[in-house]
Amino acid sequence: MPRWLRNNASLLGVMLLIGTVYLVGAVVSDRFLSFGNVLNVFEQTTDLALVSIGQTLVVLSGGIDLSVGSLISLTSCLTSGLINGNPDRIIPVVAAVLALGTVVGLVNAGLVIALHVHPLIITLGMGAILQGVTLLYALGPVGRVPRGFNFLAYGRILGLPLGATIAVVLSILIALLLRYLPLGRQIYAVGDDANAARLVGLPRTRVLMLVYGCSGFCCAATGLYLAARFGVGQPYTGVNYTLASITPVVLGGTILSGGKGGVVGTLLAAFLISLFNNLLNFMDVSKHYQLVAQALIIIFAVSVYVERRREE
Amino acid sequence: MTERLSSSAELAHPAAAFKSVRSWLARYGMVVVLPILLGLGGVMSPAFLSADNFSNLLLQFAPLAIVAMGQSFVMIVRGLDLSVASMMATTAVISTSFSGTDRDIANIFAASFIVAVAVGLLNGFLVTKRQVSPFLATLATMILLQGFRFAYTQGAPSGNVPPLLRVLGSAKIGGIPYNSLVLLIVAVALAIVLHRSAFGRRIFIVGGSPVTGRLFGIRSDLVMVACYVISSCLAALAGLILSGYVGLVDNWVGQGYELDSIVACVVGRVSLKGGRGSILGALTGAAVLVVIANEVLLLGVPIQVQLIIKGAVIVIAAALYARREASSGYT
Repeated sequence: MPRWLRNNASLLGVMLLIGTVYLVGAVVSDRFLSFGNVLNVFEQTTDLALVSIGQTLVVLSGGIDLSVGSLISLTSCLTSGLINGNPDRIIPVVAAVLALGTVVGLVNAGLVIALHVHPLIITLGMGAILQGVTLLYALGPVGRVPRGFNFLAYGRILGLPLGATIAVVLSILIALLLRYLPLGRQIYAVGDDANAARLVGLPRTRVLMLVYGCSGFCCAATGLYLAARFGVGQPYTGVNYTLASITPVVLGGTILSGGKGGVVGTLLAAFLISLFNNLLNFMDVSKHYQLVAQALIIIFAVSVYVERRREE
Repeated sequence: MTERLSSSAELAHPAAAFKSVRSWLARYGMVVVLPILLGLGGVMSPAFLSADNFSNLLLQFAPLAIVAMGQSFVMIVRGLDLSVASMMATTAVISTSFSGTDRDIANIFAASFIVAVAVGLLNGFLVTKRQVSPFLATLATMILLQGFRFAYTQGAPSGNVPPLLRVLGSAKIGGIPYNSLVLLIVAVALAIVLHRSAFGRRIFIVGGSPVTGRLFGIRSDLVMVACYVISSCLAALAGLILSGYVGLVDNWVGQGYELDSIVACVVGRVSLKGGRGSILGALTGAAVLVVIANEVLLLGVPIQVQLIIKGAVIVIAAALYARREASSGYT
């Protein structure tokens, strides 16, 4: 097998699965292949793609971010609560929310560095704290966003859904950063072997700040998107994303122990998950069995990947 | 053995006496923290120290303690079990799936433990034979169980919890809840298995270093699978007790227990890196969580603050232990 193929086998696997779903979909319904439906699926990928991009960076660095769900809930509540229907406040609030997300990520990184505690525990604790803060701010749906704001969720630019396009552009930028900037390469080094990275003098602090900061930023973006989509912020809106954000990361070929993978695989995997759910909808499979199917896919995919990795 | 070593160290270096106090605190710190928390509760609110409140504390303590003990087995072999809460909810659904009378209590237990063993085997198989990371493997079984549960109940579970299970989950005898008696028996049995049996020693060896285990001729894979099965079975038991406590069933009985049990273990000094932990630790950690939740409630602080305090406790507890092993990376 050529080297390129071996290095990107998981990417290829995801594309193969996407192709299979399209094949099955074409048999099930002729509407499945329509351009409108493709765009639809693309649009529905936005939230999962956004969170998972940030999560990918953290996982690459050898960590994990379990505070994403609560941070999404908090930012979406703050967005609609602070804007509260006033169009003049959109820009400052959006900027403030994005900044807040980044700061929370930086705090996560700071705690991981200063306390020498596993990121799993730090971010779990941070998640509980943020959920508490969110509930202090709002016990139910809070505020509302002005009419124009839902452009972020439903708007189209040149026929492409805005939110999803932002996610794609963001992941391309991050993919370039990972590949060509020293700091990007260092994320892999730190994730692969933290001790070796320390011994050769790589800036672990800067790397962790970057990845957790990015993850926080992505969560804030997801929070904004969800507030725009639902028109209102809800204190539990992000709860499912904590664990859901891990699935595309792993399906896309990033290894949970860190140091291997990439953001493009994550994006494709997020698309695959939406596509698969879309197919099951077309096949009239109940929501409940969709969960079963999703779990089986995870089990299948990770088992296959692992087999391959062991052969190397 | 360790005591003899530390005392000879004291003879050699007077300063080591201080060090051994510190290491004692590190090992049993939470056992000291618990009475302090209890005293604090008494000062803040007289109702806290009443016999009534204590027996209520015990009532809430049992399910979490049982799950946390199972979680500690898995964590000692370098694993993590995120499927416990889903397992609990599944047994809660099972408990109402029969006639709802005491005739079916044996069936309920049988069905629950068959499912639990199957889930434990699946987790163990994925982790050992397929080398899937424990986080991911148990996440997948969590979703799998959840999907089957929703498909089975069509999203709206119904039925009655048998009276006997209600007694087990919520009744008391002379102020002591029945579920505490169950907990006591299970805890003693598990402590013997983990700390006094050959199998328990194998668990620690495998958790400390799977390669060493293999060199000793221990079948690491089997030991790990057994730990996952133990964890699932304990979660099933806790689920049955909790469904008896709640009295009615929904698809989310036990929600949050997967993270709470991990937190209890970390607070009770079971290492996330594996190879270290104890039944007493898991119990203490669970007790600390339950007491804190109860105190916050009695203080009349908004319920949301509980979450904030819980989060802070997790981080602080983990940080206290991590100081001691900073050189070896994360705990």
